[in-house]
Amino acid sequence: MISVAEPWVEAPLKRFVDDSRVTFALLIFPSGQVLGQSGFSRAVDVMSAAALAAGIYATVRELGRTLDGKGFRDVFHAGAKRRLYLAEAATPRGTCLLLTVFDEQSSLGLVQLYFDELRTALAQSKVQVPDPAPMLDQNFEVELNRNLAMLFGRAPGRRSITPTS
Amino acid sequence: MKANLTSIISALTRQRGVRGSLLVDETDGVIIDATLHVGMKGPAFAALAASLYRKARLSADAAGLGGVTFLRLRATEGHVCAAGKNEMVLVIIADARANIGLIRMEMLKALERVAI
Repeated sequence: MISVAEPWVEAPLKRFVDDSRVTFALLIFPSGQVLGQSGFSRAVDVMSAAALAAGIYATVRELGRTLDGKGFRDVFHAGAKRRLYLAEAATPRGTCLLLTVFDEQSSLGLVQLYFDELRTALAQSKVQVPDPAPMLDQNFEVELNRNLAMLFGRAPGRRSITPTS
Repeated sequence: MKANLTSIISALTRQRGVRGSLLVDETDGVIIDATLHVGMKGPAFAALAASLYRKARLSADAAGLGGVTFLRLRATEGHVCAAGKNEMVLVIIADARANIGLIRMEMLKALERVAI
C-alpha cells in the first residue's frame, strides 16, 4: 500500500512501485522529512529509514565532493537477499531522495529505468511551492511527526491507495 | 579481459542484420559490455532483456524443462535473441532479415568464450 504526505507524489510513486516491483519505497527530502512511502507498515520503521537514508545521502554527497569534486547522485548496496538503491531527484519543491529496497523480483537495471521515469514525472509535477520556511531544529520533529501521522492515518489529510496488482 | 569481451561482442555485431549486442548481468540487469548502433537505449534495453531472460529461465525451470539454452523473441520489425550462462546474458538485437540460425550458433560460441 502506498501512502503519501503530499498528493502530488502519489501517482508517480504508485507507478514506480507497480512497474519496478520494489519491496519498499520511501520518498523524502534530504532533511529526512517524508513525502510518501510504500511497503512500510510501522511509522517507526519509516522514521528510522528516513533518518538513515538522509544520513547516507549526506555522507556519500560529501564523500563524492572529496573524491570527485561533486556529490554522488546515487548509491547501490547489494545485500544477501535484498538490494538497496538510493538516488536523488529534482522536483519543484527542491531535491528529493528515493530510498528503495528490492529483491529478486526486480533488478538494479529495472529500478534505475523506472526511477528515471519517476524523476521525470516528479520534475514535471504541477505543485504549488509553499512559503520556503526553513526546516529548523525546533520544528523538524513536529513536521516529521505530522507527516508520519498523515502517512499512517492518524491525522486528517491522509491519502492511501492500494496497488492494482 | 575487457578488450577481450569487447572483441567478442563486436564480432557479433558485425553479423548481417545485427543492430547491437550486449553482455548483461542477469541479476542486476546492467550492461557489462555492449556494442550498439547510435540511438539505441542500451541501459533500458539491457534491464528489460535481462528481466525477460530471467523470467524465461524461471518458467522453464518451473515447467521442469531444465535450463534455457536460447531465447528468441520475434517482433514485427526484428528479433531479440538471448542466451545465458554463469549469471551473464548475451543479448542480440537483429533486423527481420537477419539469419537467426547463424546468429544463434555465433552467440552460443561467444558465450562459451565469455563464460570461462
